[in-house]
Amino acid sequence: MRPGFVLEVDERTPPLLVHQGDGVLLERFPVGSRVVYPPLPRPGIGAVEAAVDAALSAPVGSAPLASLLRPGMRLVLVVSDAGVPSPRMRGTDVRARLIERVLSVVAAAGVDDVRLVVATGLGRRRSAAEVAALVGERVFRSFWPGALACHDAFDEANLVEVGTSGAGEVLRVARPVAEADLVVSVEVVQDAGAGGLAGLAAGVGAYGSLRAVHGVAAAMRDAAGWFAVPDSPAVSAAGTAAAAAEAVSTSAGSRGVADRLGAVLAGAVPVFAVTATVNAAVGPAAAGFLTRREWEWSLPDQAMALAAGRGLDRLGGWARRRVWQETTADYAVTSVGAGEVTAVTAAAWAEVDAGQRVAVEGQSDVLVVGSAPFGAHHGSGPGDAVLGVHGALAEVLGRHTGRPVVREHGAMIVYHPMAARFSQVHQPSYVDFYAEVLAESHDPATIEAKFERQYATDPWYESLYRSSLALPGVHPFHRWYETAPGRAYLGEVVVVGGDRAVCARLGVRAASTLADALEIVSGSVGRDPSITYLHSPPRLVADVR
Amino acid sequence: MGLRERLAGRRVLVTGVTGFMGEALLERLLSDFPETSVVALVRPRGSHGGAARLARMMRKPAFRALREQVGAAGLAELLARRVQVIEGDLASVPDLPGDIDVVVHCAGEVSFDPPIDDAFRINVGGLQELVRALRAGGARPHLVHVSTAYVAGLRSGHIAEGPLSHDVDWRVEQAFAGRVREQIEDASRSPENSERFRRAGRRRFAAAGAQTVSGEAERLRREWVARRLVAAGGERAQVLGWTDAYTFTKALGERWLEEHHGDLPLTVIRPSIIESALVRPFPGWIEGFKMAEPLIIAYGRGELPDFPASPDAVVDIIPIDLVVNATLAAAATVPPVDAPAYYTVCSGFRNPLRFWELYEHVREYFLADPLPQRGRGAIGVPQWPFAGAAAAEARLRRSERVVGAAGRVLSAVPASSMRVRQVAGQLERAQARVAFLRRYSDVYRAYTKAELVYVDDATAALHASMEPADQVDFGFDPTSIDWEHYLCRVHCPAVTAVLRRPRAAAAPRRLSGHLPAGEGVLAVFDLDGAVASASVVESYLWMRLADLGGLGRVRELAGLAAALPGYARAERRDRGHLMRAVYARYAGVDPEELSRLVAQAAGEVLLRRVRPAGIRRVREHRAAGHRTVLLTGALEAVTAPLAPLFDDVVAARLEVGADGLCTGRLASSPLVGDARAAFVAHHARVVGADLAVSWAYADSQSDLPLLRAVGNPVAVNPDVALLQVARGASWPVEEWSVAPGSRLVVASRRERVVQAAAARAQAAVAGRVGGVR
Repeated sequence: MRPGFVLEVDERTPPLLVHQGDGVLLERFPVGSRVVYPPLPRPGIGAVEAAVDAALSAPVGSAPLASLLRPGMRLVLVVSDAGVPSPRMRGTDVRARLIERVLSVVAAAGVDDVRLVVATGLGRRRSAAEVAALVGERVFRSFWPGALACHDAFDEANLVEVGTSGAGEVLRVARPVAEADLVVSVEVVQDAGAGGLAGLAAGVGAYGSLRAVHGVAAAMRDAAGWFAVPDSPAVSAAGTAAAAAEAVSTSAGSRGVADRLGAVLAGAVPVFAVTATVNAAVGPAAAGFLTRREWEWSLPDQAMALAAGRGLDRLGGWARRRVWQETTADYAVTSVGAGEVTAVTAAAWAEVDAGQRVAVEGQSDVLVVGSAPFGAHHGSGPGDAVLGVHGALAEVLGRHTGRPVVREHGAMIVYHPMAARFSQVHQPSYVDFYAEVLAESHDPATIEAKFERQYATDPWYESLYRSSLALPGVHPFHRWYETAPGRAYLGEVVVVGGDRAVCARLGVRAASTLADALEIVSGSVGRDPSITYLHSPPRLVADVR
Repeated sequence: MGLRERLAGRRVLVTGVTGFMGEALLERLLSDFPETSVVALVRPRGSHGGAARLARMMRKPAFRALREQVGAAGLAELLARRVQVIEGDLASVPDLPGDIDVVVHCAGEVSFDPPIDDAFRINVGGLQELVRALRAGGARPHLVHVSTAYVAGLRSGHIAEGPLSHDVDWRVEQAFAGRVREQIEDASRSPENSERFRRAGRRRFAAAGAQTVSGEAERLRREWVARRLVAAGGERAQVLGWTDAYTFTKALGERWLEEHHGDLPLTVIRPSIIESALVRPFPGWIEGFKMAEPLIIAYGRGELPDFPASPDAVVDIIPIDLVVNATLAAAATVPPVDAPAYYTVCSGFRNPLRFWELYEHVREYFLADPLPQRGRGAIGVPQWPFAGAAAAEARLRRSERVVGAAGRVLSAVPASSMRVRQVAGQLERAQARVAFLRRYSDVYRAYTKAELVYVDDATAALHASMEPADQVDFGFDPTSIDWEHYLCRVHCPAVTAVLRRPRAAAAPRRLSGHLPAGEGVLAVFDLDGAVASASVVESYLWMRLADLGGLGRVRELAGLAAALPGYARAERRDRGHLMRAVYARYAGVDPEELSRLVAQAAGEVLLRRVRPAGIRRVREHRAAGHRTVLLTGALEAVTAPLAPLFDDVVAARLEVGADGLCTGRLASSPLVGDARAAFVAHHARVVGADLAVSWAYADSQSDLPLLRAVGNPVAVNPDVALLQVARGASWPVEEWSVAPGSRLVVASRRERVVQAAAARAQAAVAGRVGGVR
């Protein structure tokens, strides 16, 4: 396996691959820029089924699964949502293989009250076809729709309180989970820090319980460590007045809240975890140029990169989005674990972290990032404007071990088309969020105070969420709040290739080329700034020293 | 003796005091003749009585100087003291006081193309009635009749001041004019004409239903009657040697007076084209637009590329104050009873203004001081080639043909896209421009071609007989007019002042977010085309596409493509037909299966094609407490995903046979056209809503009855027919776009062909109209 490294651009460096939402381009970077390459994707383990069986019979920190089972018990399999991994896994999802192995053990133990819950949390509920792809055809046929369903975070009649955290947060979860004798959590881990107990609670919790996880103030507290002065005016200005008055501590941050809710759930229901980790694939194995380094591209790689860039350009927007929507990746399963949920998750995190971490020497003035055409929330093709901003300011900027790659008040340059184009089916509330909410303000705190309640309780969004595969009404709000730390931290955000009117509404600036973008930010970072380009996807976690 | 003294102590009856001439005359009398009292015959209008109308008139600019001099209260007092108001109009004049010394008869029908009966009733009948009332009251005043120089009609050469030589019998003509309306009304109801109107109505509004068609037919009939009456006047005038009904009836009025003034001294004033004031009440004073103003403004806007007039024709213009002065001087000079006096007040004999001079001066004015075009700098004015009447006429004919053809093409376009609507808007403007050119070139032809010279020797003598001081104060010598000064400094600035006034930018008409909340308000939405971008044909496709795969899909598409022209024809004829034709294809389908399909796939497809702005508007209405109603020709099952947005959904239901399968027939008659209006009215009664404050959103002319039924109609992505109606009625027109990528089925071939044809027609129109410009 080849680790990640930092390249310094010199005269011989070829143009580098940059993702720009629904297209790719080859961009020449200024000499002296640093380019952070992630490690090359790791090879997988050979026999997944055998590894699962082995893990189930010799779990970490727990008795073997078979010994936890007894006839007549109520067993619930919570399947983590299809948003992870992204892009989707080609062929059968690894979860289907995990579930099949678990169910064979369960059947052998004579347990017949088995239900499956897809932990969609505050995301969108999946269509029958998507659920079938997730759990496998055989399981789908036997359980759908009676004993296999997606979680509904707004269905008050089927949400049951399971406990209260030390900080007074009440956790309500889906009725089958609350009433289960044992919960088996089946999960794919792609990012360190995501999933686990906290993810489980978030996946099956009620909107009311999860609200505290998603506030602006909580997001700001999570990022307190980024800032030189944690409770500087920038931090408190972005939070609410009340939040600023509270002691700034990570325990009040969204991660702290989520962890506490996870602990409440674990305290109420025994949880046995089965996880698989995947490597950092980006597309089909044939499209190797997406992960290889440009100077090592073979002739076919070069031809494909050129063809992809030009071809996507030629295709109309609709066809281009379809191409990415259909894109799946050939992942390799790098590890399988089972047992006590915290220990299993920790092992999985360590595994994926080792595959993504790159050491970077010091912060730079300007951070340049591309925009991946896929993401956990992209139900329908590459990101629209709102998810584009979220992807850059919340996801990419946040992938570090404590210090962002860019300095405080530095500039971020993002490649994204920033089109005000939302899926009518999946994102009805995004359409209105853009047209109504952002038209009034793009400040997360203002938006939270003024609009969230109205969108959360809107019966039309709720009906679309329940029956038509739509994201819930509050989804754009939560994504927007997560950009609050980035907005407070960065001096400037410039979007290369962004639609100007849309960028203005989103509170970022638009440029047509990288040179123009650097010109725009020169006012705040000077004419000769240090530049770092994150060559991602594949995903990488910067360990800035 | 001065003019003031000669009129002192007299009582002057003024008719038409609220008109242009009457107003100027009254202002002069009130300001400068303190010893003269006025009797004003004023027609009450609406809730305003005669006195009130006169009091309101005092606020107009003409009286500004006087108002500033004596104060508003003083003016009111002056009016009360010196003006006696008699309410009445020329159709029935009440008995008039016996002590009237002078009558100045300014009232008249001044439009060039009035209906023939109106022209006679006012310009001849009014005169007869006035003289009758004067005699009945016992007065023996000096009659000063304001006529027009153009009573000379289609003659050429020098026209002397005196009785006109013609032997037209006013009795015969007046009797004819009295009968003609009835005849034309009768003719308009003949079976042939009725059928013609009904056909035209059907051609335009077939899809909207019988009520709308018959409404349109009746409107067309009324229009036809009005047109025929105008034509009857114009043609009769021309056949007897006059330019139009106006000059014809004025001439017959003169003739009647000559025969019937009896023992009343008679003076006839014949002004030429009266335009804005030279000095009094202030330079440039004008009320409304007269003869040359629309042309001057059109020219200043760069919209008049040429004019069918010969450059050396004399344009006989006379400022209003000169006419008023001449009238006052004539009123003070009582002619012998057996020798009526004739005064032509004009400029053409002594100080002629030729057409090219007029053009040069106006052009000079606009070059020096061009009209502003809001936000786009100044407008450039064209240079006229004076290509001659024939060439200009030919060009106008060509434009009319092109615009007409483009209009016919456009009205045949079945589907409506934003592009088609833009073309329709451009075409409408081109049509308006061509119609304007046509009207003015017709009206002016006679006035600018006439090689007439009006001799004004008597008027000159009258002027010379005045005292030198009066010649200054009340002069009417046309040689005193400096045309360049008058046109460039006085007239054009006055005419264009209103266009130069800085206008506040019109507030953007935005309904969104400003819906008044209220109980008892309906918001009715048409699904197809307005809320979602689907027609019934497409909805059929979705349903089956979801069901079929592979080869079946291909075959289905081919079958539908073959049937499409039929559907399109059906759509043009009647939407109900179309729906029946489409739903016949559902024969043998299990309704359960249908609902399942919708829940699975068609719902997603429908939501994909929903217009976000439409959904937002529905939700705004709900937020405002309105009751939302979805009206659609689509199947009820298809609309299920939208049901949570609406309080009531009215959709097509398929009939289910004894075998539990769909029969392919509808369970009830499809709700289209008039039926929608009737349904909404009924529904409003049931739920206790008030249609006058309700809303309706629709996209096609078949929804006209629905839109007309409510107080707040909105045309959304309208088809051409609806767009025209909406523009005419100034309904809001909105564009709600679909999210891109949601068009599942490409436009039908026919649709594309027609759109291409419309685009070509637009290019042709742009070329032609551009050429004309």
